[in-house]
Amino acid sequence: MINSWPGPENSWEGVDAYFTWADKPGMLVFLTLVTACICLAIVISAARHEADTASKNQ
Amino acid sequence: MTLEELNVFVTTQANVGMEAYYWWCTALMVLIHVGFLMYEVGATRMQNAVSSGVKNLLAFAFMIPTFWLFGWWIYLAFPGGFVPIDLEGYGAPWNVSMGPMLSDQATGVFWAAFTLFACTTASIFSGSVIERIRISAFTFLAVILGSVVWILGASWGWHPDGWLVTRFGFHDVAAAGCVHTIAGLFAFGVLLNLGPRIGKYNEDGTANELEGHSLVLSFVGLLTLIVGFFGFVGGCLIWGASDFGGWTNIYGAPATLSSFVFNMLMGLSGGMIGAFWYSKGNPFWMMSGGLAGIFICAAGLDIWYPGFAFILGVVAGIVIIPANNFLHNTFKIDDCVGAVSIHGVCGILGILVVGIFAAGYPSAGDIPPTSFMGQLMSAIVMALVGFVPGYGISFIMKQAGWLRVPDAVQKAGIDKAELGLQAYND
Repeated sequence: MINSWPGPENSWEGVDAYFTWADKPGMLVFLTLVTACICLAIVISAARHEADTASKNQ
Repeated sequence: MTLEELNVFVTTQANVGMEAYYWWCTALMVLIHVGFLMYEVGATRMQNAVSSGVKNLLAFAFMIPTFWLFGWWIYLAFPGGFVPIDLEGYGAPWNVSMGPMLSDQATGVFWAAFTLFACTTASIFSGSVIERIRISAFTFLAVILGSVVWILGASWGWHPDGWLVTRFGFHDVAAAGCVHTIAGLFAFGVLLNLGPRIGKYNEDGTANELEGHSLVLSFVGLLTLIVGFFGFVGGCLIWGASDFGGWTNIYGAPATLSSFVFNMLMGLSGGMIGAFWYSKGNPFWMMSGGLAGIFICAAGLDIWYPGFAFILGVVAGIVIIPANNFLHNTFKIDDCVGAVSIHGVCGILGILVVGIFAAGYPSAGDIPPTSFMGQLMSAIVMALVGFVPGYGISFIMKQAGWLRVPDAVQKAGIDKAELGLQAYND
């Protein structure tokens, strides 16, 4: 399924940019924030695992 | 075919050709990452081989979303210094150009090529810190280097409106400054805070050689890097699409792929031969010398005579060895792959030789001609852009206890202790 943004749905007529699941500015920003949060969370999670490993190896 | 139809046909072919060109340059640049991964894993002792590879893979994986989130925007927004210019949203991840868009065949492939340039800076840094940096800390620093620091330098020294370009006529067509100098000096800053691997230095200050577990893997990795750098160097040229009328360098002056390949290969060859002679046949330095030979030619890759590029390459191949020894003896760093010397020192030399031997070259538009002072000023700026954040941020991380793998884990081996894996089984 393609949600055209700003073009009409179900046709390529007049379509230029088309962002599936992100056809409104709010959703664009939301998905961007989710992407950023995932990146940050994974680094924090890895750092915690390293700290646990360090305490086990002392 | 009418004249209008012919115009549409030519424009379409030019745009598709441009897209395809940068697409394949990007694909080739992935081989830089493959090469660095093999090189670093080979240069690592067996007990840390997996973690070295994981670290390298993570740099690649994290660079892509972070460069999409803010790296590309930084390049476009900061050519004037530290104050962003108004782009009306262009370059931000929620802008229409930062995703599928039928009328824009350029942004995606340029973003991708620049993302792989960013990955290259992280890979340069990666090899110097193996076997004792925390993987999470490395990932964070790699993102800072690849998606913030180098791209800020590129905005200043590569962007056609960059202040180093418009004020000083900075000439750095294949990124000796914004990639190699910045990444090398960033690594140097981090190394000062990270400290050496356990066992590298004795109490009396003498150094031990901590041999990697696979010289063959390092050889293949270094040769793979050369293939990848064809994509890197190719991506530094601007495709002569319908708007331009021919290849140009990044500053808009005429250039050709032929001039790039003449000088890249001659520099590579000179570096290998110079390092072979000076190191008395050490294969590690031979291959590193080849890379250094490319980097010392990189800033002026479009203007050297190939014989001169060869001589520059020989100089680079020789210089990297005493430079590496000096850095180790003076600062007691443990740069496992000589990245500071190969990328940092030869990047700076590459910028300066343009000022010494190629001053007065005209550029496009209002950009001033090349000059020694312009190149010197730009080299200093590039070095600072790399070193200051590298040292400053890693210093804070060190104080917070988030930089170095504890000694006990280093002794146990990072692979087994943290990942529960080992590179080789019986």
